[in-house]
Amino acid sequence: MAKDTLFSTLKQNQGMLFTLLVFILLPFVVGLFNGASPAQVWLNESGHSKFIQGLAIEIFILALYALSYDLIFGFTGLLSFGHSMFFAVGAYLTGILLKSFGFSLAATFGMLFLAGIVQALLFGMVLPRVKGITFALVTLGMASVFHVLVISTELGEYTGSDVGLQGVVVPAFISPASERLRLYFVTLTILILVFLLYKRFVNSPTGRVCTAIRENEGRALMLGYNTFFFKLAALMLSSLTAALAGGLHTIYQPIVSPNVAGLGYTVTALLIILIGGVGTLNGALVGAVVFRLLDYGLRRYIGESASFINGAIYVAIVLFLPYGIVGTWKLKSMNLRQGWDRLLGMLNTASKEK
Amino acid sequence: MNVFIRKNLLRLIILIVLAGLFVAAAAGMESQDFLITLLRGLSVGSLTFLVASGFSLIFGLLDVLNLAHGTLFMIGAYIGWTVYVRSDTFMDLLTPLALILSGFLLRDVWSLLSTRLPAAGRMKRILPWAGILVSGLILFSVLRNYPIAIWDVGDYAQSPVSISYLASQGQNVQPPPATFETISPLMAFAGLIAGSLLLAFSLSLFGAGKQAEASRITWRSFTGFAAFLLAGIIFFIFNNLFTAFLAGLNTNWLFLIAVLVAVGSGAGLGALMETTLIRPLYIRPIYQLMLTLGLSAIGIEMVRAVWGRPEFTMPRPELFAGTGEGCPATSLAGWWQYHCSTMMLMDGRIRVFNEIFIPIIGVVVLVAVWILLQRSRLGMIIRAGVQDREMVEALGINVRRVFTQVFALGVGLAALGGVLAAPSIGLSNMMGESFLLNALIALAIGGLTSYPGAALGSLLVGLLQQFIIKYGQIGIAIPFTEIVFKPSPPIVPASIILLMVVVLLILPNGLLGKKE
Amino acid sequence: MDYLLDVQDIHTFIGQYHILQGVDVRVPKGSITALLGRNGAGKTTTLKSILGLTPPRQGRVIFEDRAIQGMHSFDIASLGIGFVPEHRAIFRDLSVEENLKIAERKKDDYVRKRDFIFSLFPDLKRLISLSGTNLSGGQQQMLAIARALVADNRLLLIDEPSEGLAPVLIEQLMKAILQLSAESTVVLVEQNFLVASQLAEYYVIIEEGRSVKEGKMKDLINDKDTIHRYLGAA
Repeated sequence: MAKDTLFSTLKQNQGMLFTLLVFILLPFVVGLFNGASPAQVWLNESGHSKFIQGLAIEIFILALYALSYDLIFGFTGLLSFGHSMFFAVGAYLTGILLKSFGFSLAATFGMLFLAGIVQALLFGMVLPRVKGITFALVTLGMASVFHVLVISTELGEYTGSDVGLQGVVVPAFISPASERLRLYFVTLTILILVFLLYKRFVNSPTGRVCTAIRENEGRALMLGYNTFFFKLAALMLSSLTAALAGGLHTIYQPIVSPNVAGLGYTVTALLIILIGGVGTLNGALVGAVVFRLLDYGLRRYIGESASFINGAIYVAIVLFLPYGIVGTWKLKSMNLRQGWDRLLGMLNTASKEK
Repeated sequence: MNVFIRKNLLRLIILIVLAGLFVAAAAGMESQDFLITLLRGLSVGSLTFLVASGFSLIFGLLDVLNLAHGTLFMIGAYIGWTVYVRSDTFMDLLTPLALILSGFLLRDVWSLLSTRLPAAGRMKRILPWAGILVSGLILFSVLRNYPIAIWDVGDYAQSPVSISYLASQGQNVQPPPATFETISPLMAFAGLIAGSLLLAFSLSLFGAGKQAEASRITWRSFTGFAAFLLAGIIFFIFNNLFTAFLAGLNTNWLFLIAVLVAVGSGAGLGALMETTLIRPLYIRPIYQLMLTLGLSAIGIEMVRAVWGRPEFTMPRPELFAGTGEGCPATSLAGWWQYHCSTMMLMDGRIRVFNEIFIPIIGVVVLVAVWILLQRSRLGMIIRAGVQDREMVEALGINVRRVFTQVFALGVGLAALGGVLAAPSIGLSNMMGESFLLNALIALAIGGLTSYPGAALGSLLVGLLQQFIIKYGQIGIAIPFTEIVFKPSPPIVPASIILLMVVVLLILPNGLLGKKE
Repeated sequence: MDYLLDVQDIHTFIGQYHILQGVDVRVPKGSITALLGRNGAGKTTTLKSILGLTPPRQGRVIFEDRAIQGMHSFDIASLGIGFVPEHRAIFRDLSVEENLKIAERKKDDYVRKRDFIFSLFPDLKRLISLSGTNLSGGQQQMLAIARALVADNRLLLIDEPSEGLAPVLIEQLMKAILQLSAESTVVLVEQNFLVASQLAEYYVIIEEGRSVKEGKMKDLINDKDTIHRYLGAA
């Protein structure tokens, strides 16, 4: 019996498990294609595999960031234009604590946790006052103030002002240079854990209320839910995740550019989940993969006018994949499944008539 | 009266505080500094208002946050520059443009044809796409060989930067007109017309089946088509004549033509955008954000491809360009006599175009649109539609057409802002983005869908920015201390954002916005 | 009989919800027909489906011998259908006069109809320059009906005219509706059965998105069973 349930859960999640397997094997397979044995890859010797690992790490970090945005925008319905602040605070705090204050990695992530909570409270403070597009603008304002702080010359000693934060010494055991494979698996594990946590959260009673708030806040209020606390909970989880993603970003990237604090980086998150499908957790992952690969491929093969093609592709996605990749796929597969059911039903009745 | 005060207490307090700040800011500087800063604030405020008012009209009626608005502002500037500095290019472009558009004026014919089309099923789905593909190929191959005298982004001597520089020195040398070499004019004409007809027909197939019944064809259906064809041919035959005329024209008139063309093409672009891209997305508001973002990226890239990345300037019209005898003028009469670029006002040196002309245009547009909104039937429909679109439609008013008109109007205003900004702040790829952000902040401060709010917000944004910049130069003496605080450049955008946050936290709907 | 409006088996979806699941309404020319039924039965959706505001996915709507389903709302309205929505939908930013003028379909419709409208609703005449915000509920309702009268409408769709009004006002309103029904045909949605029974000549009962019963109002008044079953205790 226990075996059966295990089997059925495996079968239900076969897509997920398959993806997981692909990502675990990816560094080694890429190595094999370039004539590097898995052992060499294991010892961080294969150049090409290392490059692919780096790209994958970026995708994982983007996916974490997109997940955190999907939680507040896709599931709770809060349109925030200041989301990049969550990420940038994580990135800068990690860098500054490691570089200028000599914190250990554990202590740094402890501080990240605190910073995440503080930011969520900051955004939460304005929640009862402003709604909808006004909330988006107020959060944009807060993020812009942080952006200005980051690029101001007065704090240049710590932040590197508009050049960006560089020279962060990352502890050797997860250094992106010498131990990239380990960093790869660490970020992958974090992503999986966060994804599972999110899945749990979304399907929990709290998560359901969040979805109800997105659909109709008035009704959720009338049913007796204090929507403020649910929104705050979603914000909290989201800000912690984004700060974590920011921290990983600093560990992986040699320079933290001040652009991650700007409006453009929030738009990146929005684009990713729109590509993947708003309000679907898988969508954030798929969107991150598509977004990063598209950006990389276009810049590599087309160069200067990449953002022209990029823009055209976004417009095409909006017009032809109205619910994002995952959303449209779900609709289509639902149609397919209904078709199958109908076909099976017809066969059943036909066989009975015999 | 009492009720009014009680209802608007917070609003009044904020306005009084802002006025107090303004007086304090004025008291902190010399009077000529104050005057210049005030006029600069008005100038930036006017340009912001031109972007903000169109944005707010569109958002109010259509619920579309048009994030491509800044890009359209920029495109307006570049189109204006082209007409003003390279009128030969502009004339060369007119003929193909008229021919390509001509096919779309046979709308009635297409709708009749598409209902009579015998094809069915799969054929019906493939046909439009095939038509678009074929017509695209035809148009592309013709346009590639069509002779257009244009600058060359790759060659510095022929790039817009050099051309602008020469033009500002009064040496507007125009290269010899381009001639047909690879294809004959007749072939080019036939290709363009055929491509246009096919494209228009294919596009009309998408909407087929929506109309209850096809309209009847009369000779009227062909007038627009014929007019555009004729215009295209006339522009072609008298191309050199027109070009010479424009080149010899006084720059004031040329500037006026540039403004009109920029506004017209802005409005046309807006109408095109609304009818083709935005319209399918009214049911999916969030995706409009993504669409307009994508369009904005495309627009910026296209401008980069055509006009290049480096910034350049647009020479001011002759009326505002004098530097010689009698300049700087000491009075308006003196300016009128010598056409000075600057004039002295209270011992301060003021640039006439930037700091006097632009604010005047800003006020004129403010009043004109206000009258349009309050007095015309279109304005009445807009005001009603902002509140309840469904009811307006239920009265038998074609709201879609009004949507298109408003979109065109909004984008036209942005393009006007762009072409006015070009001689004053120059042309750059990113000029639109900064003004869009300014406009968004101005609208948030004033009230997102309120027209007076757009004006007030833009004014506040312009003034605050300019005063902070000025105080960045002279420094603020903090009372009772020796410290002189000098705001650094990043504080300029931060200050208006801070103002926005404060206002929104106290009045979530902005200063003049209405409660939802 | 000669029907001005003939709604045949329409099905309407709002989002994924199948709201109307087969509604038939026949409206004889020159009559007042009441749509009756409980809250949420689909009466308002029926009106909106006729007008194309929530277009029906199936079925036909015939107005003056012409199928109008699937047309744009503004085209349907332009054929001569006036709509008085639930909650009035007065344009707050427009003055009373502008609220009337916006409904013009031909030039000077308002000038021609002004006297007729003010004879029905004398109150509106002195409110003419006020803005829509400053009207009371009853005045708003009168303005909403007046707005539907400006253009030459042969059919009026009136949704819940008596909702939230004081009894005195309801009586005034009923008088006006009776008067204007001399000029055009009326389809009325009404919760208040007393009002509906005094105004309407015909009725259609809608229950859970289906039309279940129709007939003459004077027969329904005596049919306590039907009233009890479909309209609750009345």
